[in-house]
Amino acid sequence: MGDYAQFLLPLAKGLGMTALLCIISAVGGSIVGLLVGLARASSIGFIRWVSAIYTNLLRGIPLLIILLFTFFALPLLIPGAVFSKLACGAIALTLFVSAYIAEVVRGGLESVPRGQFEAAEALGMNYFLKFRYIIVPQAMRVVVPPWTGIILAMIKDSSLVSVIGFVDLTQAGKIIGTTTMLPLLTFVVVGAIYFVICYPLGKFGRWYEKRLTVSLGRPQAVDLGPASTDLLAEEPLLQVRGEK
Amino acid sequence: MSVYISVISFLVGSVLGLLAYFAKVGTSRVLSRISGAYIEVVRNVPLLVVLYLIYFGLGQVGIDLDPLWSALIALSINNGAYVAEILRAGFESVPGGLREAAHALGMSSGQTFRYAVFTPGIRKVFPALTNQFILLFLFSSVASVIALPELTEALMTVNSDTLRTFEVFTVGALLYYAVSSVLALGSRIGEKRLFRW
Repeated sequence: MGDYAQFLLPLAKGLGMTALLCIISAVGGSIVGLLVGLARASSIGFIRWVSAIYTNLLRGIPLLIILLFTFFALPLLIPGAVFSKLACGAIALTLFVSAYIAEVVRGGLESVPRGQFEAAEALGMNYFLKFRYIIVPQAMRVVVPPWTGIILAMIKDSSLVSVIGFVDLTQAGKIIGTTTMLPLLTFVVVGAIYFVICYPLGKFGRWYEKRLTVSLGRPQAVDLGPASTDLLAEEPLLQVRGEK
Repeated sequence: MSVYISVISFLVGSVLGLLAYFAKVGTSRVLSRISGAYIEVVRNVPLLVVLYLIYFGLGQVGIDLDPLWSALIALSINNGAYVAEILRAGFESVPGGLREAAHALGMSSGQTFRYAVFTPGIRKVFPALTNQFILLFLFSSVASVIALPELTEALMTVNSDTLRTFEVFTVGALLYYAVSSVLALGSRIGEKRLFRW
């Protein structure tokens, strides 16, 4: 029994760290992504321009580079600031994820017909009311399935924080693999844990999408702009007939 | 090196993806199950874990692979699953009537796929495939973790040699960004040029 405890306890700790990191980054990334996505639909040209650069730049750089940048270069940019490895990982993941979420949010906003915006304004609704009652409920249907896909990808990508020495699930697996000399078994177990977390999330995304298709009575064919293709890679907009 | 491993794993991964797609939609239940399991497992397990599994894990059972082979195998396996999903989504968007019409015209199943699925479907699949290639290129940075001397690994080395951290990583980020932008632009031009039917 002692052997198993030695094996499983660090993995459980690592899993906890991965979960903590992912929750912080998912919440942070969603908030930042939402703001940037709204900024991309702004009526002020400068804000649109800045937010477009933000999303395009972050989408064109590997997460690993962003991570190394926050780990090595950020403390130099802000002298005197000390970042824990958790903070570095969370900042990098938040930045990375927010760019993808911003694209989805923009696609969602664009899927709502212009007339809906105009009607809300004609009814005298202010910015908040307009979004709360008119735009968000309609955009949600388009945004949620790819959003779950992005979060799913983020959970997998969070394994990269092990590179800066943060003891997440992957790093815990690496350490145990080295100490017990059983790397094959360890990484199979680690992979299985990731699978158990990610698989239901993917299922939920597909279930939600299918429900959406039923409620609309036809497959949703919304152009999400340039983002749509990589979303296709994560969570296809098109459904398999009669999937399991 | 980054470009080299991306291109090789994309080609191998695409073949793997095409095979997985055929297995998935084929008539054999067993093959379809195996292919489905392959796609689901790869899509739900981090690339880094797969890489460690191949690089460290296989050493335990006596299969010692160098970093280059490990990276190529891991990236190809990863890419194959995503390509299979892209192909499935794209080819399924081709109306079934086309396939039925091809059958009615007496085409063999190979001809049906060639003319009534692949040709109309590839136009929809193309942008997703090129996008997958860009993502793969960005993800090849992960190979630096097992000390494969590609772009990210080179950046780390230059960084520890010169200690000019900020400049080094800014240049690195811009290099990745430049390559992925060029690829994205090429994809958009290719999309317009290649498919005029």
